[in-house]
Amino acid sequence: MLVLAPAVVLAACLGLVALIVGTKVLRTRRERRRAALLAPYRIDLLAVSAGEDDAGAHRARLAGADGASRPALDDAMTHLLAKVRGTPADHLAEVLHAHGAIDRAITDLHHPSAVRRARAAQLLGLCGAHQAVARLGEALQDQAPDVRTSAAHALGLVGDPAVAPRLLAAVGSSHRPIPAGPAADALEGMGVGISRALRDALEHPSPTVRTVAAQVSGDGAFTRSTPRLRELLATDPDLTVRETAAGALAHLGRREDVEVLARHTAADQPTPLRRTCTEALGRLGEPSAVPHLEPLLDDPDPRLAELAATALLCLGEPGRRALGDRGGAAADTARTLARLRAGEPIQSVGAGRAGDAAGPGDSGDAGHARAASRADHGSRA
Amino acid sequence: MTWDGFVDGLRAGVVWLMAVTSVPILVYFLIINLSYLLLIVLASLDFRADHRRRESEVTAFGGALTPGVSLLVPAYNEAAGIVVSVQALLSLRYPRHEVVVVDDGSTDGTFEQLLEAFDLVEVPRELPRDVPVRARVLDVHVPRDGRTRLVVVRKENSGRSEALNVGLNAATEPLVAMIDADSILEPDGLLRVTQPFTDDPTRVVAAGGAIRPVNGSRVVSGRIVDVRMPRQWLARVQVVEYLRAFLLGRTGWSRSGALILISGAFGIFRRDVVVEVGGLDPTSIGEDFELVLRIHRRMRDEGRDYRVAFVPEPVSWTEVPTTAAVLRNQRRRWHRGLWETLWAYRGMVRPRYGRVGLVALPYYWVFELFAPLLELFGIVVVPLALLLGVVDVPYAVLFLLLAYGLAVLVTLAAMAAEEWSFHRHDRWRDLGLTLLASVVENIGYRQLTVWWRLEGWWASLRGKKQVWGVMTRAGFEEPAP
Repeated sequence: MLVLAPAVVLAACLGLVALIVGTKVLRTRRERRRAALLAPYRIDLLAVSAGEDDAGAHRARLAGADGASRPALDDAMTHLLAKVRGTPADHLAEVLHAHGAIDRAITDLHHPSAVRRARAAQLLGLCGAHQAVARLGEALQDQAPDVRTSAAHALGLVGDPAVAPRLLAAVGSSHRPIPAGPAADALEGMGVGISRALRDALEHPSPTVRTVAAQVSGDGAFTRSTPRLRELLATDPDLTVRETAAGALAHLGRREDVEVLARHTAADQPTPLRRTCTEALGRLGEPSAVPHLEPLLDDPDPRLAELAATALLCLGEPGRRALGDRGGAAADTARTLARLRAGEPIQSVGAGRAGDAAGPGDSGDAGHARAASRADHGSRA
Repeated sequence: MTWDGFVDGLRAGVVWLMAVTSVPILVYFLIINLSYLLLIVLASLDFRADHRRRESEVTAFGGALTPGVSLLVPAYNEAAGIVVSVQALLSLRYPRHEVVVVDDGSTDGTFEQLLEAFDLVEVPRELPRDVPVRARVLDVHVPRDGRTRLVVVRKENSGRSEALNVGLNAATEPLVAMIDADSILEPDGLLRVTQPFTDDPTRVVAAGGAIRPVNGSRVVSGRIVDVRMPRQWLARVQVVEYLRAFLLGRTGWSRSGALILISGAFGIFRRDVVVEVGGLDPTSIGEDFELVLRIHRRMRDEGRDYRVAFVPEPVSWTEVPTTAAVLRNQRRRWHRGLWETLWAYRGMVRPRYGRVGLVALPYYWVFELFAPLLELFGIVVVPLALLLGVVDVPYAVLFLLLAYGLAVLVTLAAMAAEEWSFHRHDRWRDLGLTLLASVVENIGYRQLTVWWRLEGWWASLRGKKQVWGVMTRAGFEEPAP
């Protein structure tokens, strides 16, 4: 047994070495072959992706590629398609269509390989393939997480609002969820038609779905979500949802939302929410927020006080009047930062004190700091 | 007692010792290697997904839900590289981030360098005391242009953890990334490491990223332009160690939902959660480990649905020790920190703490803390037994071959994962050196680190005050060949 075990381990080690070397060799060869296949078409690819192919000669050359060059070109064009917009993107999609890549991608959405399915979804999205929306909607339930993510991304690029309810439901799925980030981005690409789906999603039991819906409602100024956003801010059990709702109200709120936001700057609210709401009052831009912000200048939380002062400066003349010549660190900092942003000269108080810090440390702690701040501190492998 | 009597007594003692310990050691040996195998399998599932993601090239970075990040940079006597570091951090590809440098009472002109490079002006900002700090904050500065998102806070010298706590108080974004002033972040590193927060915004509370040694690589303006193996064998072996620790260890633990360690060189956290648990513990030596455990404990105690994630893709590059003296100090401190933190959180080894309490912590106790003790036992007893003729020489050789062969196998698995997923080392020479380093580390290096780790543990048990060493850095900027 003991004779056999080292032999097995040695064989496994040699196998792994062969795998490492083989992987490197194959990758290098694949990259070289791909470069060789693309070389004759490099100028055409550059011209099309730069939008310098009005006559269509370069597109014709690309469309005429065949053999092993065609899949290599399709890959390269898909890669480029993710980086360009407008006419160059349309031209690249046109060549991909001529190669039959879009039809193949629709078929590939059912391919046994998850990589093929994910790449197919990506290509369909980048080409804005409306005919594939139903299939992409199905792919939101794919067993591979990456395919689901690609499908969500693709649906956002296609921009069909009809799939928004399915997309939001997929975010909250406990079985096969899609990540919130790509879902939110996809929803933002679907236009105003998702209003109803967003309102429904704000009622969803999953806090992640509510967060996504609140964020997209705010970013897209979906005003019909406002009543529900106010409720979420007031009562949601999840702090992230409440903060996102406050941020959304800052985008799309109205005069009456001043009261709603101000209520959550009260001392009994969680500190992060108080700060978010104070900032939101400034961003909302309603002068009626001034009486609510003024008392916050004396808040024991210096960050909140500074945010209140900054918010007052955002509210124009009424806010600036309320801030007046008021002293204190919060007001002075907000004013200084506003001046710096406006490019106004201010007296530098730091330069004269530059040397003050040289050696202020407790000599007993200096060694501690040296190690903790400079040496091998914390970088535990 | 005659010499022969002494030898006979010793022989009898060794025989007895081997008889008593052989079965437990064999079981330990089997379990530790099976656990490595399991971690490899778990990690490879992640790499498979990662490979697919690269193939499908979905890049949804910087979208609507991408949270703002405050990069907290504690700096003590970093005058030589602080400006380049801060410039590199400010130019990271990310939609919303600020850099908060906390000058921890530097005496080498670190602040003056920043003052000049960024034309800083003092603002009368009072920092909140969201987490308690003992040291006095001296002043706060921002660039005069009013646009560059840099805040420089000067404080009295009191150590890295306190500096990070000051940075935490000064931070204004919902996420805080703790990063060493001499670390180099990948241009997309921040986007990658915040991806778990974007994908799961209500549950993810902390995330770590893979860290790699930068020694030997070519760095220009705070960016790595050519990844190479270091010139010194000591650093080369650490490249292999880091690969193994991050590519298999952390990834596997993350996959199993029980990641309890995020490296202090780069970690990213929800600010509100770090504030809630009270920030970093300035009295802890293993402050990175301690913070993550405290977060786990708080989340579990409150029955919250949460996740600690790990991003296996290289995020940050750091300089590793190149002298035995500095490495010794580092390993002593790491093991001491491990012991003190595990001891402080021994109460978490309970079903109430789920996989963290039932799997991860017991694993760290048995296979991380006690591993050097067991290895030392082997290093001492096996040669002694051979000398006294109580074990068969071929048997001992085969056992050693098996033990070190398995260690090499685990490293090779990490290298295979690296080659499959990230392949950051382009040169064949570097691949050859890495393969060689995976064997070389078992000859001398491993035995030395066993001793150093035990030294750290012993110093703690004796209540000896931790003596911090100085790391002499060679610096990143190397001339082009």
